Amino acid sequence: MVLVAPRPLLGPEPPGDAPADRGTGAEVLALLRGDAAARPRFDPGLAAGLRAWLEDAAYDVVAARGEHAPPLFLGPRQLLGSVEEQGDDDTTSERLLLSRLVHTLLRQLVHTGEIHDPLADALDAVRAGGIGADVRAMEALPVAARTALAETLALHARNLTALVPRFAPGWMPRTNDRVAIPLAGGRIVLHGMFDLVVGLPQPRTASLCALGLSTGGPWAVARRSLHYLSLLETLRSGTPPFRLALLESASGRYGVEDVREEHLRAIASHLAAWLAEGATAHG
Amino acid sequence: MDSRLMDALAGPVPTVDPTSWRAALDDAKSKLAGLAVRRAGATRFRVTDHEVRTAFAADGDDPGGADPFAWTAITARRSVGVAAVRLMVTGAARSPLEAVRHRLAESSRWVRDGSSSASQLDRWLDGLSAAGRAAVGAEAVTWATRLWCALDWSSFPSTPVVGRDHWWDSPHSALLALRGRADVRTATSHLVVLSGPRRGSVRSELALVTLVESLRLRGDEGPGRVVGWWPDSGHLVRVEPEPTTLVLGAEAVELALGGAGTSLRSAA
Repeated sequence: MVLVAPRPLLGPEPPGDAPADRGTGAEVLALLRGDAAARPRFDPGLAAGLRAWLEDAAYDVVAARGEHAPPLFLGPRQLLGSVEEQGDDDTTSERLLLSRLVHTLLRQLVHTGEIHDPLADALDAVRAGGIGADVRAMEALPVAARTALAETLALHARNLTALVPRFAPGWMPRTNDRVAIPLAGGRIVLHGMFDLVVGLPQPRTASLCALGLSTGGPWAVARRSLHYLSLLETLRSGTPPFRLALLESASGRYGVEDVREEHLRAIASHLAAWLAEGATAHG
Repeated sequence: MDSRLMDALAGPVPTVDPTSWRAALDDAKSKLAGLAVRRAGATRFRVTDHEVRTAFAADGDDPGGADPFAWTAITARRSVGVAAVRLMVTGAARSPLEAVRHRLAESSRWVRDGSSSASQLDRWLDGLSAAGRAAVGAEAVTWATRLWCALDWSSFPSTPVVGRDHWWDSPHSALLALRGRADVRTATSHLVVLSGPRRGSVRSELALVTLVESLRLRGDEGPGRVVGWWPDSGHLVRVEPEPTTLVLGAEAVELALGGAGTSLRSAA
C-alpha cells in the first residue's frame, strides 16, 4: 500500500484535537490529482479473474440455499460489518440517522459548494428525497435531542466544508454512485455506493478517484469498505479507481491512497471466504 | 466510454424477413384493436414500461408499484438528467454539473415568468428550498454523468436524440395509448437506462419500445434494436426487432391491461 498522505492515514483521533492536524480541501485535491502520467494500467484480465473467483464461491452458496431461493443482496454492512449498527437499537438508529444526514450534506456541498444551516438543509434534502421515515424520525425528536443533533451536525458540516475539495465541473463529480454486481446469474448481488466519484472513465486505465465519507466508524472498516467498492467498480467497468480518499467528518481527518491489485485480491479473498462460510452454514 | 454498450448501439441490426415482420405487426395491431374495444367505456389507460413492470409483479413482490406517484429526487432524476445530457449534446453545457444547474435555474425561471413550458415537475422544483433543489440536482448529476460517460457521442453518424418518449395512440379507442421510453435514440437503436434489480419483465418492457416504434413507422422500415443498460452493473439486454419481439410487446400490453397474457404470466 502506498501512503500518499502518511500523517492523516495514521488514523483519526478523538474530536477536539488541534485544528492544525485537520486536512483541507486543497490538500485533498492536490493528493487526488497527483501525477496524472503515473496512473496505473491494470491487467485487462484482472476483472475476469476476480469475477471467476467470486462466481465459484457464489455458486456454492446457491447450491446450498437451493436454486429457487430468492436473490441474496449483500452490501458492506453484511460483508464487512458496520460500526453504525453496533450498540442498542436507539444508539444504532441515531448513528444511522446522523450518517444519512451528514451524507446528505456532503452531496449538497459537492453540488452547491456551501451549507447554510446544517440541520435545516439536511432536513430539506431528506424531504426532497422522499425518505419519509427519516423526516418523521427527526420531527419526532424531543427538543433537547434535536438541539444535540443540530450541534453534532454542525460540527460535521464545519469539518466537511473545510475538507471537501470544491471540484471544478470538469472533474465530473457525482455522488451516491451505486454499484450492483450480480453473481451466479443474479442469485447473489453484491452492492454498495460510492459517496463521491470524480474523473472520466478511460478504457484499461484506472482514471477515477473515489471519496468515502466516514461519520464515525472505525477507520479500518471505512477503508476496507472503499476497497470493497473498488472491487465492485473493477467488476463493473474492468478497472478500479486509481486513488481513494477517506474523509472523516467527525474529526476532519483524511487519508489518501492508491488502489493496488493487492487490495482487490485481499477483499475478493475476504468475500470468497464469507460466501464459503455462508454456504457451509446453509449446507 | 463503455465499449460493449457502444457496440450494442452501433452494431449492425439483423435483417428480418419482411413478410413475417408484416404478419407479426398485423397480428399485434389486431390484438391491440381487440384490447381497445374490450376497454371501451373504461377510463383512459396509458401503458408504459412502469405498467408492464407492475403487471409482472402482480404477486406483490414490487411494493413500489402500488405507491401513488410523487415527485422526489429519485423520480425527478431522469427528467432532469435527460434535459442535462441534451444540453451537453448540443454544446450548451460542458459538464453534467453545469447542465443540471442550468436546467434547475430554467425551471425556476419558467415558473416565475409564467411560461407555458413550465410543467408539474418545474413547479415542484421551484417550490423546493435551495437544499432540496441541491438534493434533486445531485441525483440528476449522477444519472446524467453515468450516461454521458458511457457513450462516445462523437462517433454517431448523426446527433442522437436524447430522452424523447414516443407515444402511440390507438386508432380504435381514444382511451388507449402506449408509451415507448428510450433515453437515447440513434438512427438504428434505442437505449433505455434501467434501474433496480434484474427482473423477468425486462425483455417485455423493452419489447414495448419496439412495438411502439413499429406502430409509428410508415412503410417497411425496421424500428431498430432496443438496448437496456443497467449503469449500476454495466449489464446489457438487447432486444432485436424480430417478429417474436412484437408478439412479446403485444402480450405485455395485454398483461398490463389485465388481460390474459398467459405466456407472460407463467414466465413472470
